[in-house]
Amino acid sequence: MIFRGVLIPVCSGMLVAGLLGGCTGMAGGQRPPVVEQGTQMPRPVNQPGVRGAGPGESPASVTAQPPAVLALLSRAEDQANAGDLAAASTSLERAIRIDSRNPVLWHHLASVRLAEGEYVQAEQLAAKSNSLAPGNHALQARNWQLIAEARRGRGDRSGAGVAEQRIRTLTRH
Amino acid sequence: MARRKQRRRRKSRRKAVRHRSLWTRSIVIAALLLAGYLVYLDFHVRQQFDGKRWSLPARVYARPLELYAGLVLTSGQLAAELSALNYQPVAAPRQAGQVARNRDTFHIITRPFVHADGREASSNIRVSIAGDRIVQLDDANSGRPLSLVRLDPVMVGSFYPSLNEDRVLVRLEDVPPLLTRALIDVEDRHFYTHHGIAPLSIARALLANIRAGSVVQGGSTLTQQLVKNFYLSNERTLTRKLNEAIMALMLEWHYGKDEILEAYMNEVYLGQDGQRAVHGFGLASHFYFERPLPELTAEQIALLVGLVKGPSYYNPRRHAERARSRRNLVLDVMGDGNLLTAAQVSQAKSRKLGVVPYRKKALNTFPAFLELVRRQLERDYREEDITSEGLRIFTTLDPQVQWQLEQVIDRRLSGLEKAHGIQADSLQSAAVVISIQGGEVLALAGDRHARFAGFNRALNARRQVGSVIKPAVYLTALEQPDKYTLATLLDDDPLTWTAPNGTTWSPNNYDRQFHGKVPLVSALAHSYNVATARLGLALGLKPIIATLQRLGIDHDFKPYPSLVLGATELTPLQVTQMYQTLASGGFRAPLRAIRAVLAADGEPLQSYPLRVKAAIKPAAVYLVTAALRQVVRNGTGRALYQVLPENMDIAGKTGTTDNLRDSWFAGYTGERLAVVWVGRDDNRSTGLTGSSGAMLVWRDLFARLGDSGRLQAPAEGTEFLAIDPATGLQADSGCRDAVELPFIQGSGPVEMAPCARGGSPLQRPVDWFKELFK
Repeated sequence: MIFRGVLIPVCSGMLVAGLLGGCTGMAGGQRPPVVEQGTQMPRPVNQPGVRGAGPGESPASVTAQPPAVLALLSRAEDQANAGDLAAASTSLERAIRIDSRNPVLWHHLASVRLAEGEYVQAEQLAAKSNSLAPGNHALQARNWQLIAEARRGRGDRSGAGVAEQRIRTLTRH
Repeated sequence: MARRKQRRRRKSRRKAVRHRSLWTRSIVIAALLLAGYLVYLDFHVRQQFDGKRWSLPARVYARPLELYAGLVLTSGQLAAELSALNYQPVAAPRQAGQVARNRDTFHIITRPFVHADGREASSNIRVSIAGDRIVQLDDANSGRPLSLVRLDPVMVGSFYPSLNEDRVLVRLEDVPPLLTRALIDVEDRHFYTHHGIAPLSIARALLANIRAGSVVQGGSTLTQQLVKNFYLSNERTLTRKLNEAIMALMLEWHYGKDEILEAYMNEVYLGQDGQRAVHGFGLASHFYFERPLPELTAEQIALLVGLVKGPSYYNPRRHAERARSRRNLVLDVMGDGNLLTAAQVSQAKSRKLGVVPYRKKALNTFPAFLELVRRQLERDYREEDITSEGLRIFTTLDPQVQWQLEQVIDRRLSGLEKAHGIQADSLQSAAVVISIQGGEVLALAGDRHARFAGFNRALNARRQVGSVIKPAVYLTALEQPDKYTLATLLDDDPLTWTAPNGTTWSPNNYDRQFHGKVPLVSALAHSYNVATARLGLALGLKPIIATLQRLGIDHDFKPYPSLVLGATELTPLQVTQMYQTLASGGFRAPLRAIRAVLAADGEPLQSYPLRVKAAIKPAAVYLVTAALRQVVRNGTGRALYQVLPENMDIAGKTGTTDNLRDSWFAGYTGERLAVVWVGRDDNRSTGLTGSSGAMLVWRDLFARLGDSGRLQAPAEGTEFLAIDPATGLQADSGCRDAVELPFIQGSGPVEMAPCARGGSPLQRPVDWFKELFK
């Protein structure tokens, strides 16, 4: 489970600030955690397509997460759960330098930005994660969830509604 | 008489009283003045000691090299990195900063280092390299595999204040105890017991001086020496000596011995590096031995302690013999104080001085990159803070890429001058290399001679860009999938455009020919000007300028039609930003040279986090990248694959301006993007096109860097269709020259080409290698 803890400080922080809006849903447990509990971390989906990715190319194998990336991801998780979001984001950036097209890393960076209240960046990074994960509906749904959250955080309720509509389309498949 | 006497007596009594009151008043005033002076001195002593003690230059670091199994890194590259870090080659490493290399296996004890995100402890590691990558990374003690180890970063420069002082601050606990104790034994045996001055020593010195008739002996305590260096001028007067003594007492009154000792260690003058005074043991260790203080051996420590007495008289580089006997004297003191055994003393005495030859180091190794760093810093810091607050600046510079870039530019430009009969040293160049997804500047060249800190062309040269601008025109078209696809036939027949004011414009192709109807993808691949001009005019200049701005170019474009052929002046850095957005699938990441800035005490001041902006829809960008891939497979960039491996996935664009004044190439692979410009400062013709000039520099660079990564994967919402290039319509098994092209879903042609026999869709994979679209 990655980064479940990140969401808790966001909420309590919001409570303190009296901005309950974004948090009620989470408190009610309707909102899935950024990465579902007990599920495997989504695999990167950065293999090029069979066609067009490169001339005469055969389907590239999905590269497994290098141990270096896993180590940084787990460090980021610890840091985020300990409330050190700046450190978590640095660790994720290090991981991205090693495996720059891994959509899972971009997704986590987006969730750290969300926890930091950096709503605009959270949304942009989630969109980037989506663009690197064509066909990965599970990860895309999580990214749209994050985008909905970020939009609500900015006070854009209708935008959040649009994002939630995307989640429904993705999960219907 | 008596009255007179009386009067006289009275007078004199009055006089005495007046005298007495004058006396007391003078004494009171003097006492007050003295007290005031002492208060002032005390304030001065404390203020300077408590506040910022030294103005410290900012240190600029390259990216730290992260080692992990799978990293693409040759043995030569690792060796170069370790050498730049001054790791000491040994048979068997025993302490941090040492390395033993056995062919492709490196046994390294890394240095501990405080990075922007925290301290990385020293690790004892074994790195095995096979071919071009690390295959194994183990803990050398346990043999267990390690996932990731970070080296300390290469220091690539400093931003100095005008004062020309330099220091590498050390904390007392980081100073080798041998040094601390030897220093005390040699310079001030009673340091820990006196109160700032040692009257006995002063008396002894006084006697010696009287005997000699001049000042020959100091008799100063470490505290007095510190006071002298810290607060006072160098003159040898009694007043100064008195001040020194008072201030030494005050310093001791207010501060602990260790604080004073630490300040001394950082203040003491130990040599001269050209204009720059070398202060403190931390910097002296680098200046004389090119390694940090904790890594020094006993005889090296002895040499530094010996230098305190007279850095110029005992200068080991000028007066090796004097330095040696002084060093050996200190070693004897170490032996007498039981800091070393007799055997250790004689062993140390037999060793060489070990001082590295003096290199007149350019203050900053990579001046062009540092200018970019400085420019980005100046947005957030004042000039005096940059040069005096001891900032630690962690940058994105990758020395491996930078070294390669510098070499290939220099060699290729000389080669081009020879091959084309161009006057030697008349060509100039600039280049920028970045990481695609993060927009980190990995390397930068602003001059063909990289050490030359002059005009920085990468940042400041505005040159006509020519065809490197074209992808923006085609992107604007492809963002309208209902009107334009890669298969849309464009018109490359002669064009004359008449401006509202009656002037005409008739663009020409580089080959002076017209090509009739050509598919959009080949118009870009072959860089046809006429087809592009017609396309640009149809699209309108406003949306094209908007696209350029979305791609990240902050520039006031003039809406002339010739803009679509690149008749506008941009810097290489601006062009790099434009291509970053394309290479990253439409997610613009502002180019960064800095990752983080730390205060001297390690407190993070500012981080420059990775930021992205979804600027262009990934599907449209994917089509442009597909076309730019055709540029290097079949178009103007074909010559790349004469040297680079077929499996290197490349997209790029050449650019040539009128009269061959500017030669450009912008290209990217899976991980990296580089933009190269070649031209002349006097703006005369170079005789080179984009592909015969800048592209060859790019090719040399990527031949060395390698990159097995793939370009952007097909974006969601795209599909592939077989197309007959002659008609731009759908092909099937009946069409011999069919090619497969990506389309935004639903935008491809529905109509079948005449060659299609009907029914049988294309089964066999289409050959991308064929020379397409003649």
